[in-house]
Parts: sequence; C-alpha cells; structure tokens
Amino acid sequence: MSAKSAKSIRKGNVTTSKASNKRTQVAPDGLSVEAQKGKARARVRAFVFSVFAVLSGVMASGIWGVDGKFSFWVDKVGGTEVSFTINVGLIWLALTLVFAVMAVRQFFNGAAFRWRRAIGLAAPLLVFGLLARLLDGTTANLTVFLTNTLSFAIPVGIGAIAGIVAERSGFLNIAVEGKLLVGALVGSVVSSITGVAFLGPIGGAISGALISLFLAILGLRYKVDQIIAGTVINIGAVGITSVIFQRILQPYREFNNPVNIDPIRIPLLSDIPVIGPILFSLSPYFYIALALVLFFTYMIFKTRWGLRLRSSGELPSAAGTVGVDVIKLRYRAMLIAGLLAGFAGTFISLGGTGGFAENSSAGKGFIALAAVIFGAWNPIYAFGAALTFGMASSAASLLAGLGVKFPPQILGSVPYVVTIIVVAGLIGRVRGPASAGQPYDQG
Amino acid sequence: MSTMRKIGRALKLPALSMFVAFLVGGVFIFLTDVEMLKQLTSNPLGAVGAGLGRVGAAYGALLRGAFGDPATYGDALASGGDVRVWTRAVRPLVESVVASVPLIFVGLGVSVAFRTGIFNIGGAGQFAIGALGGTTAALLFGAGVTPAPVAIVMIMLFGIAGGALWAFIPGFLKARVGASEVITTIMLNSIASQLIFFVVMNSEFIQQEQRLQPVSKELSKYVDIPGILPIEALRLDIAFPIALLTAVAVSYFLFRSTKGFELRTAGLNLAAAKYAGIGASSSIITAMLISGGISGLGGALVVVGMAKQLAPGVEGSVGFTAIAIALVGRTRPSGVVATALVFGFLQQGGRLMQIETIIPIQMLLFVQALVIAFIAAPDLTMQILKNPFRGLSRRSPNSKLKGVS
Amino acid sequence: MRLELQKITKQFPGVLANDRISISVDKGQVLGLLGENGAGKTTLMNILSGLYRPDSGKILIDGKERVFRDPAQAIEAGIGMVHQHFMLVPVFDVTESVVLGNEPTKGPLGSFDRAAARAQVVELSKKHGLHVDPDAKIESLPVGVRQRVEILKALYRKSDILVLDEPSAVLTPQETEELFEIIRGLAKGGTSIIFITHKLNEVIAVADKITVLRRGAVAGETTPKKATSAKLAEMMVGREVQLTVDRSRAKAARTILDVDRLRVLNDEGKLVVDDVSFEVKSGEILAVAGVQGNGQTELVEALTGLRATDSGTIVLDGVDLTNVSPRKVATAGVAHIPEDRNRDGMVKGMTVAENFILNSYHLPPFSSGGVLNRREIALAAERAVKDFDVRTPSIDTDIANLSGGNQQKVIVAREFSRGVKLVIAAQPTRGLDVGSIEYIHKRIVEQRDAGAAVLIVSTELDEVLALGDRVAVMYEGRIVGILDSKQATRERVGLLMGGIQK
Repeated sequence: MSAKSAKSIRKGNVTTSKASNKRTQVAPDGLSVEAQKGKARARVRAFVFSVFAVLSGVMASGIWGVDGKFSFWVDKVGGTEVSFTINVGLIWLALTLVFAVMAVRQFFNGAAFRWRRAIGLAAPLLVFGLLARLLDGTTANLTVFLTNTLSFAIPVGIGAIAGIVAERSGFLNIAVEGKLLVGALVGSVVSSITGVAFLGPIGGAISGALISLFLAILGLRYKVDQIIAGTVINIGAVGITSVIFQRILQPYREFNNPVNIDPIRIPLLSDIPVIGPILFSLSPYFYIALALVLFFTYMIFKTRWGLRLRSSGELPSAAGTVGVDVIKLRYRAMLIAGLLAGFAGTFISLGGTGGFAENSSAGKGFIALAAVIFGAWNPIYAFGAALTFGMASSAASLLAGLGVKFPPQILGSVPYVVTIIVVAGLIGRVRGPASAGQPYDQG
Repeated sequence: MSTMRKIGRALKLPALSMFVAFLVGGVFIFLTDVEMLKQLTSNPLGAVGAGLGRVGAAYGALLRGAFGDPATYGDALASGGDVRVWTRAVRPLVESVVASVPLIFVGLGVSVAFRTGIFNIGGAGQFAIGALGGTTAALLFGAGVTPAPVAIVMIMLFGIAGGALWAFIPGFLKARVGASEVITTIMLNSIASQLIFFVVMNSEFIQQEQRLQPVSKELSKYVDIPGILPIEALRLDIAFPIALLTAVAVSYFLFRSTKGFELRTAGLNLAAAKYAGIGASSSIITAMLISGGISGLGGALVVVGMAKQLAPGVEGSVGFTAIAIALVGRTRPSGVVATALVFGFLQQGGRLMQIETIIPIQMLLFVQALVIAFIAAPDLTMQILKNPFRGLSRRSPNSKLKGVS
Repeated sequence: MRLELQKITKQFPGVLANDRISISVDKGQVLGLLGENGAGKTTLMNILSGLYRPDSGKILIDGKERVFRDPAQAIEAGIGMVHQHFMLVPVFDVTESVVLGNEPTKGPLGSFDRAAARAQVVELSKKHGLHVDPDAKIESLPVGVRQRVEILKALYRKSDILVLDEPSAVLTPQETEELFEIIRGLAKGGTSIIFITHKLNEVIAVADKITVLRRGAVAGETTPKKATSAKLAEMMVGREVQLTVDRSRAKAARTILDVDRLRVLNDEGKLVVDDVSFEVKSGEILAVAGVQGNGQTELVEALTGLRATDSGTIVLDGVDLTNVSPRKVATAGVAHIPEDRNRDGMVKGMTVAENFILNSYHLPPFSSGGVLNRREIALAAERAVKDFDVRTPSIDTDIANLSGGNQQKVIVAREFSRGVKLVIAAQPTRGLDVGSIEYIHKRIVEQRDAGAAVLIVSTELDEVLALGDRVAVMYEGRIVGILDSKQATRERVGLLMGGIQK
C-alpha cells in the first residue's frame, strides 16, 4: 500500500487529483469544473492568438515592400534553380488574418474549436515569415529547407509513434532516445556486413525490439518503476553504442560503411516541376513514415487491437475483467514500439550521413516525447508536431548557412519550451492515457 | 557487532549489484573484442584465453587508474620522503576524489527530491545552470572587484540560485497544475544545454575574448578556488569539503529538522502527510528548491574550480550518474557520498582503462545502467547470480505472490 | 441456467472469509444475497468471477462442475458481473465499452466493425428496455446510466447469470427503482440474477429467494413472502453479544461537539452526508453505526478537516471548526484515529518514534525553531510504548514491522497523548486480534471517563452496542435514528442499518 502511494506521487498528479478541497463539482451555470477550465483555457488561447495577430499586423506594416527571395530546384536536387520574390509584408498580412480568424473562432466556439489544426496552418506561415524577415533579401533555397525539415521529422515522427503505441498501452516510454541510438548503430553494422540495403533498417528495428523487450520485462515482470527502467535503457544505450563504436567501428571501418539509403525518384511524378524534387524525390524513409503514420492512426483508433490497446492504457482493470490479457498486450505493444524506434534510429545512420556516429541521436528521442505530448497521443498530430519542430531546426541551419546572425539555440529550444507549456496545461489540456506508468496486477 | 551486521546488510544489495554489473560488463568487453572473435575459429582456446586476459587487463587498469599504481607506491616508499615521487603515486587517488565531487553534489540534490517522492531527473540541467550562475558570479565579482572570499561566496550563492531556479519551474508546475516532473525536467535539461551554448556563443560578457570557440573566458584569471592539499599538483580544492559539509547539512535537514520530517512524510505517504497537516504543494516546491540548489552549487564550484571554463556539455553524464548514485546510496546522504566516491574512483580509473586498453570510458555508463536495473529489480540480480539464463526467461519466482487487492 | 455453489470455503491469512457456503439460483430467479460488511459476500463474488479460487467446494452450472482459472473462463461459462466500481473506460463511448473484449471485426486488419457493434448494442438495449445512447461518452453519463452500460456489457456476453454487487450503492432512489424494473424484466426473460446488498427493503422488493450471510457462513434462507424485516435483520446481524466492555454509566455534561445540518460531497460530487445534525457531550460515547459506504467515511473526513463541507457547521467547544485545516482540528483538541490506518494513520518506512510525533512534530517539546528535539521525542515515545503496551523491539523500529494491533496502539498512543477534548475513532479495531480490541476499547472508555467526548464510527454492530452510550445509525448519508443505549437493541439497530424505519 505505502509503496503504491509513493508511486502515485511520482506519477505526477499530487495536488490536483481529487484534491480534498474541491467545494462543489457543479458551478452555478451548470458547467462542470472541467468544462469551465476548458472554457478558461479557450479564452487564454483566444487571447494568445489575438496578440499574435496584432504582432503580425505590426510586422506587416513595418516591412511592407521588403522583398523575400526564395528559390527552388526545378528539375532535380542540385539542378536548375529558380527563384522568386515575394513581398514579405504579404506573408505577414496573411498571418495577421489567420491569427485574427483563429482568435475570433476560438473565442466564440470555445473548447470546440480545433486549434491544433489551425496551428498546423499558421506554423509554416510563421516560419516563412520569420525566415523572410531574417534573411533580409538573401535568397534561401526552399528545397533544401524542406529536405532538412523532413530529415529531422522522420526519426522524431517515427519515434513519436513508438512512444504513442507504448503509452497508449499504459507503459510510459521515456526510452525512445536509447532505442534510436541502438537502432542507428545496429542498422549501420548490419548493412555494412551484409551489404544489402534493406537489411540495415530491419536489423535496427529488431535491435530496438529487443531493447524494448528488456525494458518491458523490467517494468512488467519486475515492476521496476517505468521511469527508472527507461533511464536504464537511455544510459545503457549510450554506453553500449559508444563502446562498440570506439572498439569496433572506428578501428574496423568495414563495419561502419553501410549501404546508404538514398532518396528515390518516383518515376513521372518526380519530373513535375518544383513539387517533383520537393515531394517525389525523397528518402524512402519519408514515404514509409507517412505510411506508418496513417497505418497506426488507423490501427489505434479504428481496430479491435486499438480499442484494447487504449482500454489497457486508460483503465486496465476494465480490459482485464472482460478477459483481455493486459500484460501480454503491453508486452506486444512494447515490441512494436521497439521495432518502430529502432527503425527510426536507422535513418540517422543510413539516411545519408554515411554511417553511425557517437551520440548521433542527439536528443531526438526526447523531442519525440515532446511530439507525443504536443500531438496529444495521436500519430497524425504528432507527426505534424515533428514537422513543425523540424522546420524550426532547419530554419536554424538555413540561417546559419547563409551567414545570418541568429542564434540557432533559440529555434533549437522551441520543441522543449512548447512541451513544457503544453504539459503545464496553459493553452490547452492534453490528456494522456490515464494509467500510463502504473503497474498492473492481473488477478 | 550488531551495527556491523546492519551495515553489512545495507551493503549487500548495492555490493551484489555492482558485482553482477561488472561481471556483465566483463562479458560485454569480452564479446566486443574483435581480435578474440577473429581468432575464435582458428584457435578457440587461445582466443578465449587472450580475450579473458584483456578483460582482466582492463579491470586492472581501472583499479590502478583509480587508486594508483602499486609500483609507484613502491617507488615512493623506497624514496622515503620525496614529495615529488609521493605526489606522483597518490595523484590518481586524489583525482578520483576530484571526479567524485560533482557526483556528490548532484547525487545529494537528486536524493532530496526522491525522498519527497519527486522524480527529479533534471539534475543535469540544474547543475548546468548552476555552473552558468557560478561563471557569471566569477566574472562579476572576481579579478579583484571584491575580495576573493566574497567572490567565492557569491559564486556559491549564484550557483545555488541558478540550480534552484531551474528546479523551481518543474516544482511549481507539479504543485500547481500537476504537470509531470519527469517530462518537464527532461525538457529543461535540453533547454539548459541550449542556453549554455547560446551564452558562450553570444554573450560578450561570458564568451572568451577571441570569440572563436563556444567557451567562456578563462575563469582562473578571475577567481582562484583555494586547494586543500599543500601540493599544488594535487588539485583538490575546497569544493570537496563543501560537498561533505553539504552532505552533513542534508542529513541534518532530512532527519533533524521539522521541514525535513515533512518532506520525508510526504515522500513516503502523501495521505498520511495530509492527515498530519502537511501541505503537499509546499513540500514539493521546497524539496525542488533544495534539490536544485545543491546541484547548482555543485555546478558552480566545479566549473570555476576544476573545469575553469564554462563550455557546452559541462554537465556531462552527471545527471544520469546521480540517479544511479541516489538509488545505490538509498537516498541517504552517507550512502550517496560513499557511492559517489566509488563512482568517482571508477570514472578516474576508466580514464586509465581507456588509455591503456582502448576500452572507452563510456563502458562505465553501461555498468551504471546495469547497477540501476539490478538495484531496482533485486529479484533479477538474485536470479542472474543463481542461473544466468533464467533471469529473463518465463517465470519469475515471485509471480505467485502477486497480491490481489 | 441454474447455478449452484456447494460448500465453498476460502481461507485468507487470519480470516475464514467463506465457510462452507452453499447457495443456488434457478433460471429466471432473483436471489437476494443479504449480509453485513465482512459477511463474505465480496469474496464469494470474486470466486464466482474467477478472480479467486476456492480452497474447497464446487461451482455447478446446470449440474455440471466448472472450474474458473481466470475471469475469461467465468465469462465464457455465462456469468456476468456488475462490479460496484464500474469497469468502464471514461473516454470510450457506450458502444465501445459494451463490446470491449468481444468486438465484432471485419477486414484483414481486424478493423472494429462499429456499425455492427452499434446495431447490437441498440438491439440489446431495446430488447431489455435498457435505454442508453450508444454514442455517448461514458464520462458524460450519470452513474445510473453507467450501471445500465455495465449490465449491457454482461448481456452482450450472453450472460445467463448476472451478479450485481451492491448495485444501489451509487444510485438515487429513483434510479434504484428503475434498476429493479430492469432486474424483473431480465428475470422474466430467463436470466438468473444474484443481487448482493445489505438493504433489507431491496431484497424484499426484488428477490424471489433470500440467502443471508453472516461472518462468512450462511445464516439462513427464506423468501420475501415468509420473511419480515425484523427477522432478516436478526439473521443478518446475529443475536449473540460477544463484546462487553466493563464500564460505568456515562455522566454526560456539557456539549463538546455540535454538528449542525452538515452536508458533504464525495469525490464524484455526490451528496453523501445529507443534512446531518448531532452533538456529543463530554463524558459520553456516541457510536455511529451503519454499513460501510453510507457516508460515515466522508462525515469523519469533514469533521477532521480532510474534506471540505458543502454546508452546515461544525463547532467544537464553542470554536468553529468548519472547513479548517487538519492541523487546526488537531490543535483544537481533537484526537483522530483514522479509518484506514495503513493509508492515513501511519507512515511505513518511518520509525515508531517518528510515527508517534506524526502530527505534533512541529510543537514543543518535540521541536523548537524548526529543529527536532530527539531526546524529548525518544523520551515521549518510550513512555508511550510503555503506557500503551506497544510490543516493539525498540522505538527505532520501522512501524511496518509491527503487527496490526501494535501499529494501532502507536496511533492511539499518539492521539491520546495530546490534550484531548474530543476523540474521533473510525473503525478503531478493524482487523485486530481480540486482545488488542479489548485493550483499545478500554483506553477509549478511559478517555470518556476522563471527560472527553467520544465519537466512534464503526461498521461492527457489536462494537457499537458495547461502547455507545448513545447509538446513531447512518443510512444513505442521513442519520436515521439516535437511540439511547438502553433502546439500542441489535434488532432495532439492525433494522435501521438496513434502511427500515418504524
């Protein structure tokens, strides 16, 4: 009993959960406390959006007429460049309008307004607006910008799906980072040894699954606190990969010389000017990631497996009493999460960098956690979050590459800051699986 | 006699866990030995023997690196009172203690939070921001602006303030809106390292004069943290006694003060704490302020006194290691100090191991991960000791004991 | 289907929870299983649902013996459970909740065939008259409707035997009436029903046959036609008085605790203490009887500052203690022996001495200037251990290592070692051995004799009758009667506990 209560503190909802000092649950106007809070948060959002609208308006009037220069590669990556010029003020005017509409709709529709989707529209505009402002006349190649965005979003987005599957089943998965790293290493080694391109990703995925199985055994069988277990994986992964890298991959380069998985050109489609190089000449990982996002969104929300998965994460006893084997279900979910995270890791070593490097996951697993939360445990939204975070990151490198003096760390912090704001519930409550992190005793 | 037995019992699990972890670590070294693997088909016995020999050599180097070389000790004894020879002999020992200083601080900080039932895994970020605070104070008050003792006190205060601020954010969010401290501290760790990078790149006040690299000015030009050993080559400074004093203070606070009593009660049983009239919110925030303050103090003293320069990655793996230390030391200040010393010795020994046998020091991270796993899952340790292949197989011995409420 | 349990026995460490219990229910029959708290109802139900396995005895369905290793097998055998705490995922809708575990699917991916599931739910609810919106989210539904969803869950699994555990505990009287309609309808359709309750009028209203459990064994069987409330009450609570406490008559003097029109809500926002008024005088013991879950827990929490009140006042010796902190309540002179000692009363992992100062650590002589005074603490703890006969190796032993009786003695010692005007003791002897029970009773009476007002809340009728100078009975959040100890016979109190007022 006492161990359990100690756990419950750890879980996080110390003061808010059923605080003893709730006077009444129902307010005079008949709204429940939760609905009232939702309304309050909707007002906060409406306010934030209007502030953004005003700021954008000021920006638009301030730089009206300044030219923003962007370019694309028309035929293929690195090929003919075509540039175009746009009045930066126009972008900001559009942003002003978007934010104004968002503020108004948010204010009148309250909690029903789909603000996450609206942000999905506003975020790219905002990034472009900022870019155009900062570039101040220098031409920026958008094809590169978009490719960089995707390279960032692929491991983060797939890693986020791994986090979602595990947490939807009730297992708090902070070990995505460690699995990415191991997947990257194993992917590179397998690919180098076999010389077969597609075996790398498969090997990485399997290694991720094995790591995940160990994590699941610690958490489900030995009832180790899932956060401690995740920490074990994250530390252990750094240790294992560094040792193997320094002892084997560095002295024996043949083990770290993988067959790179290069972008593929989809016939015909990739010949379409402008969008061809942007959308149809990308790494196969991107198309697989898209497929995974759609597949898992469908699986989680539209299938029997998903229904049971979600019930196990929300109220495992509800699933257990109708005969669902919750423990087995969680093991399977952890295996799937491991496959996904390991696969995502292989992109880091095989997606064009030419092999594994130490600590090359570089915190992407933690950003994936951020994407999970920001995406409200929904693969599509989470991938959207990954893309947004990716834009922030590639905007930083674009600016640095063009010699614009703008500290990349500010953009680099965006995912983390946004996540803290979201977890704090200031602008909108995210409700994760209610039982994630808690052990389950089956009869 | 009975206290001896008590200590023995308290040491049993940590000692066994360390032992098993190094055992598994040895297997890992053995299996990643390419020389051995290459000869395995042609000369299996010889290959295995040589492989095992190399494992032994690695651990031997680890021990010599940590405690010093018996040969140099012999020279020292033979030389009589030759200070230079003695210095060379004991330097590894002293360096091991130096390596343990940040671990003591962050281990203590993390333990205070754990005791209150808060999983503060933001030790790294709090250490880093403390280091930033210490650097700022050194640049502000050092180089003769204020007398040296005042500057040192200011460095410590700035460090405490920095770490406490970085811990206040997750503490406040947890107490007020129930935001999980696990997520917020992870995020704040990343933000802290971005912030350090940012200031050493962009702040004229902090970045080194030539502004070529992302490092701060040479802090030794501003403040000299006094050493405690009479020989200058042995660079153990006052941070070590301060760390020990902090441990005493934490111990006194936790077990002798009413506030500490409140925190421990809240950590063990929140319902009983409420029954006893102890406020959960204030306990959480207090614990986090103290926790972060201690880690921050460590960051300040280490960066000014030992690193002598603020650079990205100043926190290293101290956050992870501190969690291991807190768990192995059972969140008791004495246990934390002892474990931190052990880990400090390992870290120092690991450096020699890396130099002599090309086994990277990150090997110790792997061992630390195993130690945490074994401490957290004692059944697993016992099973591996009894039968290495059963630990992860189908049935656990306790599966029958699962309680049904 | 006919279900028969033969001589089911289940032993837990220290408790014989089920002692050769035999019950049976025929097709289309409603069996009312009547019993007090701790009579063994829940254990029996857990055996039936496959959560526990009996030590001996048989489960027969239509004459064939069945063994359930897990809930899935019990479900398969046609047994449907409606738990007192609903097993429903709040964020699911009704359709998803009903079919979970047996979902209709289509296609290669195992896609959830929502349309088919919804159609089945609609059909079932029509057929049995259980009106629910199949698309409504569970969290938006009132409890009465959630219970219907639970019943639909069982029916969806083609349960022929439906077990309802204290189904009316969470319902309003109106909802309860609707539930009875549903039960009658299901029985008419051929479902066998086991209806577990402690409410006498409910079994009389809805059951075809009544089996009464007491202390883990069958105390009698009857039918509503033959049974009277009085007789059922007697069977439920028993006749023999086992506990006697040696004590003189109370010399009640001035009023210490005055509770006026108190209303308290539980965590779900339901009114569970409804317009309760009473007073306790110095030198008397007021014992509150009642079956668990009739508002006593929340009443005590409100009195001790652990739960906010909705309205009404609590006055202790002229001082208003309505909605003040637990610390204020304690310093005002209230000793509180909490209902769940493991949860609230002590901190496992701390020593006996530390537990002794749990709510007075901040006061002199135990601390000054924020520093604990270890010598004073040790002295006081040693004294308390001696005075209250706590069997412990030392005051530095972790309290978790003590027996339940000794743990409770530490709590009692702590609470009685302060200046006490009012003692609030909730279930003070639950789960203790006889020796400890007698000892704690003696100390409580001593407090009364020393002039304290004492409020005891207990679900043990024997304890209530043995200790109470006056006995108040709580039923569904109200005090349905306050009797003088002379009037408080087992029968009268039993009737009141079962919700029958004369």
